Formats: sequence, C-alpha cells, structure tokens
Amino acid sequence: MSPLERGARALARPGFVLEVDRSTPPVLFHAGEGFRLERLPVGSRVVYPGEPRAPLADPDAAVRHALEHPLGECEPLSALLRPGMRLTIAFDDVSLPLPPMRRPDNRQRVIEAVLDLAAGAGVDDVVLIAALGLHRRMTEAELRHAIGDRVYDAFAPDGRLTQHDAEDPENLVVVGHTDEGELVELNRRAAESDLLVYVNINLVAMDGGHKSTGCGLTTYASLRHHHNVHTLEQSRSLMDHPRSALHRSNWRMGRLLADAGIKVFQVETTLNTDTFPRPFSFLQTREWEWSARERASYLATKRALDLAPGGLVRPVFQRIEAPHAMTSVQAGEVEAVHAATLAEVFRQQAVAVEGQADVLTMGLPYICPYNVNSVMNPLLVMCLGLGYFFNLYRGRPLVREGGVVIMTHPTPWEFHPVHHPSYIDFFEQVLSQTTDPAEIEAKYEADFATDEWYRHLYRTSYAYHGVHPFYMWYWGAHALDHLAPGGVIIVGGDPRAVRRMGFKPASTLRDGLEMAEDIVGRDPAVTHLHCPPLLVADVT
Amino acid sequence: MRVRPPFPLGPPTWPTGVPRRPDPPRTGVHYDTAWSRRLPARLARALVVDDVLRPAVRLLGWPRVEGVERLEGLAGPVIFAPNHSSHLDTPLVLTSLPERFRHKAVVAAAADYFFPSRARAAVSALAIGAIPMERTRVNRASADLAADLLGRGWNLVIFPEGGRSPDGWGQDFRGGVAYLALRCGVAVVPVHVSGTRRVLRRGRALPTPVGEPYGRGPGLRVRFDQPLRPAPEDNARRFGARIESAVAALADEASSDWWSARCRAAAGRTPAMTGPVAAPWRRAWALDEGRRPAGTAPPWP
Amino acid sequence: MRALRFERSLPRYAAARVAGSLAPGAGARVGPLELVDVDPPALPGPGWQRVRPRLAGICGSDLATVDGRSSRYFEPVVSFPFVPGHEVVGALEDGSRVVLEAVLACAARGVDPPCRGCAAGDTDRCERLAFGHLEPGLQTGYCTATGGGWSEGLVAHASQLHLVPDALSDEAAVMVEPTACAVHAALAAPAAGGVTAVLGCGTLGLCAVAGLRRLATPGTLVAVAKHPDQRRLAAELGADVVVAPAEAQRAIRRATGSLQVGAHLTGGAEVVLDCLGSSASLAESLRLVRPGGVVVLVGMPASVTVDLTSLWQRQVRIQGSYAYGREARPDGGEARTFAMALDLVAEADLGRLVSAFYPLASYREAIDHAANAGRRGAVKVAFDLRGERGR
Repeated sequence: MSPLERGARALARPGFVLEVDRSTPPVLFHAGEGFRLERLPVGSRVVYPGEPRAPLADPDAAVRHALEHPLGECEPLSALLRPGMRLTIAFDDVSLPLPPMRRPDNRQRVIEAVLDLAAGAGVDDVVLIAALGLHRRMTEAELRHAIGDRVYDAFAPDGRLTQHDAEDPENLVVVGHTDEGELVELNRRAAESDLLVYVNINLVAMDGGHKSTGCGLTTYASLRHHHNVHTLEQSRSLMDHPRSALHRSNWRMGRLLADAGIKVFQVETTLNTDTFPRPFSFLQTREWEWSARERASYLATKRALDLAPGGLVRPVFQRIEAPHAMTSVQAGEVEAVHAATLAEVFRQQAVAVEGQADVLTMGLPYICPYNVNSVMNPLLVMCLGLGYFFNLYRGRPLVREGGVVIMTHPTPWEFHPVHHPSYIDFFEQVLSQTTDPAEIEAKYEADFATDEWYRHLYRTSYAYHGVHPFYMWYWGAHALDHLAPGGVIIVGGDPRAVRRMGFKPASTLRDGLEMAEDIVGRDPAVTHLHCPPLLVADVT
Repeated sequence: MRVRPPFPLGPPTWPTGVPRRPDPPRTGVHYDTAWSRRLPARLARALVVDDVLRPAVRLLGWPRVEGVERLEGLAGPVIFAPNHSSHLDTPLVLTSLPERFRHKAVVAAAADYFFPSRARAAVSALAIGAIPMERTRVNRASADLAADLLGRGWNLVIFPEGGRSPDGWGQDFRGGVAYLALRCGVAVVPVHVSGTRRVLRRGRALPTPVGEPYGRGPGLRVRFDQPLRPAPEDNARRFGARIESAVAALADEASSDWWSARCRAAAGRTPAMTGPVAAPWRRAWALDEGRRPAGTAPPWP
Repeated sequence: MRALRFERSLPRYAAARVAGSLAPGAGARVGPLELVDVDPPALPGPGWQRVRPRLAGICGSDLATVDGRSSRYFEPVVSFPFVPGHEVVGALEDGSRVVLEAVLACAARGVDPPCRGCAAGDTDRCERLAFGHLEPGLQTGYCTATGGGWSEGLVAHASQLHLVPDALSDEAAVMVEPTACAVHAALAAPAAGGVTAVLGCGTLGLCAVAGLRRLATPGTLVAVAKHPDQRRLAAELGADVVVAPAEAQRAIRRATGSLQVGAHLTGGAEVVLDCLGSSASLAESLRLVRPGGVVVLVGMPASVTVDLTSLWQRQVRIQGSYAYGREARPDGGEARTFAMALDLVAEADLGRLVSAFYPLASYREAIDHAANAGRRGAVKVAFDLRGERGR
C-alpha cells in the first residue's frame, strides 16, 4: 500500500446515517450479480458503513508477536510446543472471508508462523483440520487459497490435512453434557490432541470465540441444541453475543471443552472493510463522492452486466478477490482473545443509529457464506437478507416490530446440484407444504438430517449436510417473528421463487414501497442498509 | 478393427503341434540403442536438443548455467553426475552442456520407465540419446554397454541417485558412477540442478513455468564443479563418497553463497542433501521452495 | 344422420400426419375425418340395439388416430370407413340411458364357442377381434359396421350395454369408460405399500389416482403432473405427493429413502403407471421404478425407442394395460371392471373432470381443445349430442 493510501486509511471516516433530501443522488442497491441506483423517498435514512481502517504494516511480524504475547491466562505458543506432542491446527472454512481475500490469506500467515515454531520445536505429529462443521468440503484450489501452497504441499500428500466429517462415527467423541443438558461432541483428533490451535477470521461479530470450535468441529447432535427455531428467535442479535441465545449455548459448550481438559490456543484475526477491488470501487464509495472514473466504471459495468448472458456474469463475480487486509491479530485464551477481537470489529463496523424504521430496505449482494464459488439459490437469498443483514444490529433491530423488509435480488429459481442437493428438495417438497419455521422443524428436520443419500454426498462429494437448508430457514426465524405477516418483499425477484417462500414479489422499489404502505401505513419511515461493506448498527 | 492380411501378405500363424521358441526380449534393458548413435540419428538428435528442447527449457525456467569455466581444457569422455528431482533435469543438463560434450553424449535412463515398449524406447533413444539402465538389480549388460561407450569416446550423463527425489531432498548416491569411472579411467563432473522441482515435480503431468520474467521467483540453475579424477588409492566406495560430497557442496553453494559453502566444506560441515530426519511435513517445511523472504511485504497486484 | 367419419384415404392420412406433428389436433383440419350425412348403421343381428349418443368423449387414442400417429399394428383390426368415439353415454329406443363397453368381443361377434379369454370373462383378451359375423374392429368406434360415438346413432350388442342409474349425471356417465380403463390399470399390479407413482395426469392419470386411492393399497401415491390444474385435481382425488415432471425423481428418492447412482435411483417406486406412453415417459418410468418393480403401460404408445438396459439389470417388468374386463375385488370375489367404474365415478365425483362440450359441427375446435387440454386447463372434452335432431 502506498504511503498516500496508508495515510488516507489512517483517517478513515466512521460510518454514519444520511438523511435523504432532494439533493441526495440515487443510492446504490446491490441486486445479486448486478446493481441498481434507486431514489429513496425524501426523509429516508441511509446507514453507511465506515471507511476501511488502516491495515497492519507488517502482518507477519504482528502474527509472530501475538503468538509470543498471548492474552488471558496462557503461555506463549513456543512454550506450549515440545517434541513428541500431538498438535492440531483447525482453521475456518471457505465461508470466510467474504469475498475471498487475496493471497496470502490470514490463515496462511498464521498457520505458517505456527508451523515455523512447531518445526523449530521438533513437533512431528501435526494435523490440520478444516473446521467446516456441517458445511461442504473444500476443494483443493480452495484449500490452497486459504492456507497457501507451501502448507498444502507439506501436509496434503500424507493425509495430514483433513476436513472435519461430522458423520464419521469413528472420528468423533462425546465430550459431555453442559449444565443445560446440551450434548457436546467433538472431532476425535481435536479432542485427543495435546494442543488445539484454532485459526479464525472474525469477519463479523458473530464469528469467533467459543463458536469456532463449538460449530466447526462438532456434529448435528450437538448443533441442534442451538441451531433451532427457538434459540434463534431468542438471539437478538447474532452480532451481539451477550444477548444471543445461540452464543450463550456455544459459550457453555466451549467452557465444557475447557473443563474437560481440551487446551485451545485461539488465534483470531480481523479485517478492514476494503471489500471491492479497484474496478468495483464505486461499490464502497459514497455516491456523492464518486469521481468521474467511478461513474464511468459504474455505467460500463452496468451495461456489460445487462448485456452479458448469465453464464458469463457469474464467474466474473465469483472470481472477485477482496483487497481487505488484516487489521489486528490476537492469540491466547479464547475469551480474552475474543474480547479484544470484538473491540476491533466494532471499531471498524459500528454505526450509531437513532430509532427504528417502519420499512427496512437492503440490497443483497451476489455472495453469502454458503455460495462461495457456487450459485445463490432463493433459500440463501432469504438467509442473507432475513438472517444476516437483518441481524446486523445491537440494541434493537433497525426496523420496528410489525415492520416490513424490502430486499433487492433477482432470486433465480436455480440451485447448484453438487453443493446444495438437500436445498433443492427442501425448496420443492417442504416449502410447498409450509413456510412456518416451527412446523418445518417439527415435521421435516429429522428426515433430512438422517437421510442416507445426503449423508453420502456430504461425506464424499462437496455437498452441504442434509439439514443445512433448515438452518438457512431458521436463521431468518427472528426476522419472520419480528416483522409483520406478509412483511417481506423482494424487488426484482423471480415471482414463483419469491412466492414459494411466502414473500411478495415486486418489480420496482416504488411498487415495493407501495405494497409496504398497505401494511405499515402511509409515509413510512424508511431506512436503507448500505451494505456491503459490512457494518453493525447500534440502534438506540 | 484390424483384419490380418492373409499369408504371405501378412505374417503366418504358428501351427499348434510345432514347438515354438519364445521371442527374445527386445524392450527394457535389452533394447538395442546402437542405431541412435549413427550419423542420421545423431543429426536428428542435435536438431531436437538445440532447436526444440533448448527453447522449451528456456521458456519454462530461464536457466542460468554456472561453472562452465571449470570444464575448460577438459577433454572427453566425461561422466556428468547431477542430482535428480524432476524429468526436466535431463533436458536441462543436456542443453546446458558445452557443445563438444552435448552432441556426443548418452544419458543413462531407467529401463523400466523409458524403455517399456519399442515405440517409447525409440523416442527416448532418439530424443535424448538414452541407454537403458537397470535400477533395481545390478545388470552386467547395462554396465558393459556404458563402459564400452565411454571407451569409444561417448560422454555419459547419469544420475547417481537412481531416480527422482520423492520429497525434494536428495537420496543416497549409488555406486555405479564411481565404479564406471574407475573401470574406464574417466573424470566425473559433479553437477547440481535446482528449481526443476518447482516446474515439474514427481507425480505431476503439466509443468508450471518459473523465472523472473513471469514474476515467479528465480529460474532454474545448473552448476558445474571441478572434474574429479579417482586418486590411485581410491576404491569405488571412497570415490563415490567424494562425488556425493562434491554435489552436496554445490547444493550448499546454491542455497547460500560460494564462500560460506567452501568454508563449511573445508570444515566438513556441509549439510547433507538427504535432509533432516523428521516427520515428512517438517522435511517439506525445511525445503526452501516457496518461502517468502521474511519481513518483506509481498507486492499487491 | 350426421356423423364424423374417418375414411380410408392415404393422401389425407399423410397430410394429417404432417399436420399433427406440427400442431397437436391439426390433423382434424386436413385429415380423413369429415362431418358427413349418412344412413344410420343397420342392426347386424339379434341381440343388437340402436343407441342414440348423448355425450361422446374424445380419448387420447382418438387423437392419435386423427393426427396419424397410431401404430400400423391396428390396420388389421380396424375397418374403414368408421366413426370414431368409444366413450359413450347414450339412450336406447325406450329412453333408458346406457354406457358402452366398447370392446367387440366374441359375444358381440357371434363367435360360439367363445375364445379362451371371453370364456373366462376377460373380454379385453378376446382372440377373435377380426372374426365372426362382424367386420374387423377391436372396439365400437373402430368398426365400420357398428358406427361410433361421434354421431347421432350407433348400434351395440346387449353384452356391451350397462344401464346408468338415474342419480348419475351424463357427465359422470361419459367418464365411466375411461375410468374403467384406469381401474383396470390400477388393479393390474398391486403395490401393497411402498410408493406408487402415476406419470401423467390427463384423464387416464387422474382416474387412475382416484382408482388407486379407493380400490387398491398404493402406499404413498405420487402423481407427476405437468400443468397446475392437473396437480390440483390430483391432490383432490387422493394423491399424497403431487410434483411437476422435473421434480419427480427427487420426490420419489426422498419418499423411498433411496440413494442415487448416475441418473438412476438405487430404489424407487413399487409400481409406476405410465399414462402417457411416449419414449420419454417410458424412460422416466424406468428411472422411477425400483429393482423388481412393475411399470404398467396405460397410455397407448406407438413405436418407441427406449434403452432397456436398466430393465434387464434391475429385473423390472413392463406390463401393458388395455381396456377392461373383470377384476378381482379388494374384498375377494370378482366384478366387471365397468361395474366398479360406475361405482367409482359416483364416489369420487369424476364427472367434474369433463371440462368442455362441443357440438359435432365444431369438431375441429373440439379436437384442438382436447389435444391441448392440459395446457388449456381442461381434462376431458366431449361432444354434446343431446341437441342434435335425429333424422
């Protein structure tokens, strides 16, 4: 980074709330693999994210420093390594970061630093585990991108680079039950190691802490204790872990692991919000600050996207590599590390917002954690909008109870047959019967979770677990509970797909706002979430 | 579907009652490569080596050849003994030899890999002047052929490790090279080749180019050392050890610099080419490939 | 009297074939089918009666004939010129309403002693379709001597006639013949649990769903229907799972808990009723049926091309189902299929499947509508002859 850019980053402006008036230019809305400029009604508010903060000048040195100066009650990593020990290094899977970052990834830096120490200490028995929980396995290219060629070539040929398999009875152990009777199962290698180093990328406040091992190395039987409708309805919000039932459960499980003697050395990294590379820089610049070049870039890109056939557009988007860079790294005892990490995440992402709105609008981008190098199917649109974006708050949701959410996304009725086979069946066979999360959980979850074919695909192919579409639906349970019935409108979406999910299709934002007025009354207060880049709204 | 033309146009079928001698083996070690050393084949090979292999090797790795001045005044025949980690080693060494050696050289190649069928054997013999060498057992025929060729003025390129390195570290040298040198009274030139593993390692099919022009780090390097002649009291084992330590010193020179390598060689502290005794991942970790120089930020695109 | 008559005319048949391949039902415009004035058919002998049709349905096999798609197999068992129409509810001379078992078996043909099939009561397996004192013709509606439903008068043998109860409307009565075909198919291969799939929800498919639900033990009944109206009716008539064709294999996979290897499931449905009869539907049936299962071919096929390797390797049976005869009742005992169909039509209210009526004069529109029934939200299209004045 040039000194000029570094200087600019150092003066990064925080996020803020813009009140729309007649001189406000149209505002950018993401819409899947495309975007639109929309005029919001006068009086609407737009929540803008903070500008990207300055990254670390020497990330490798910072990593080495963090490993030697851990937080909490923990010895430096070099003191914990000795010959003859069993060391396991677990790392976050392909669902982070979003979009994928340029090489070298944070995980590559940290793992190489850890392995340098391990090589120096003469540790022979080292295994790497991709902590993917019930997500799909990673391909070779994705693994190489995350951990680097050097680590991949040293570990993969011998089978010492593994991917967590939650359905392999021989490689899972029961650790115990928490005080509330929640079963905790863990990957066998991780449980039986002398030291488990977890390498995380804390993209949003939901990630990290005890959730890393709690979700990434466990099984369906453990996950169901917090990945269920009731717990998610009580997670307000997912970004605010003291107030999230999901995180409380994960914390109980994490403390059980610690009490059971499983030593976890947590290394957490944070990224700034420099999300889009140069050709797409207009996506993270405030509209009234677009230079002539950015305006030309927007027009050219929009034209190209409108003219190009779908098959050509998707690879262009999926190959975007974000320039976001490491802004902090801390290591040591899980809870102490996570507190420091969260402080850094909120320093970058928190925006103060006063009051709730009647209508919340959001433009959904082309990527979410579950369609990296894949297709964004309608279920993922729902999960991204009502699950993640809705939950980007602390305090109170951005929209009032009984309000309306309007999202823009083309929502094509299209599924990736290799990555999301159980999603297709869920969309065709379950949602056609009912869209109520509690009913879906009661009638169908067990069938899908234990289906042999989905289990086979999860274990041997690159498919998400059979129960995963249910989690996508439950992720939006808090939103569905909070908003008005029929209060979800998707602008520009495929009407059949939108209706199948129980939402309302609209062709333009104006039509969507009119439909919203039928529910919340005339002249509603509108707030637009100008995201990505990521932000968390502190709503008072 | 090939239809056999009837006899006498096509070959005859053997009647059942008549005993039949088994055909003599003509592949592997028994393949006769003499035709590839006659003038027409030598001309064709010179064309292949100079006009096909040389540009290809240059495009793949931008090789730097060092130590050629140590071969000044050296008259043939000579045995060249490089380390081995990639199929790219043979074309790289061949195209790096000075011309007087290059066009009168044979390469000892594994009989089971390069001569499994007559077609493949013919290609090996023509393109690189290969002669079959048995590597699992000691075979008199291959040794005699090599000695005979050395006696008739042919230079020999032979890899003392016997095969490509599986993990990037060197393997123990075999005794054949020293034995041949003693038997025929020829000099041995130790050669060190580095970087070929980054282009085409064992187990891969497609090469990845390296080199400064591609922004992919340093290119290939070939380094020649002083020719070694056996001392009067040397036997094959001692001479072999001298050859091995000479190549190890060249390896040390490649990863550090000439002077420190010389000092270490003098003190007998040259690091062994076989690498540390440790778990496979640590051996892989200790290789210098792909390591970023510590403390420098990589250039952002 | 007026009748729609199908002539033997090779050039017009060829024209019909070309037109029919371009647009379904277009063969009626250029083909050998014509509305003509003819004398009513003569009574072939004792036991025969005149029937005046009140409603006459248009069946898939009629459409295939009109569009020149029917197989050459039928040439020896059809006599020209004939009046099509075998789904008939009509009135006898004394005013009582009857429905017609269209098959012209030994009894109607005066063949004595009757063939093996007819002797056992299986008139669908009659071996004398082109013999006896009647012209060749496998059914009323393919025989020059009997006339057919698409006219103002035909003749029928007493063995073919069934009285219609007063409570049954004309619409319900005209559905009896196709329902009988569907019942015969539904009882052809009992499933006894597992999954039964019905491929194609036109008239035959929907009646098969009704028949399976009420007269058999289909286990989980999966109906595969292309059009939304068909899907709605299939659900109303008793299907457990209703899916579009693209979703069929996935739904059956989950209903049977199978795995998948290539394009085939490892398990599948016990019985698949193919009510379409095309190469594509037969291939799909083979993909949906489990090893050792049965595919019942109900829809009339023509010459189809199918890869039978999966049939061989998985030991699947394909069984044809034609017309009706006698059935084993679910409670033991036997009954005529027609009698069971009469009951089923009343019980499941299958009269609602009759979607449109046309007079004989509008036969081109009628056939066009019938050929595109699914897309136009219709199921059964029939000729309404109650308004015609007999002459």
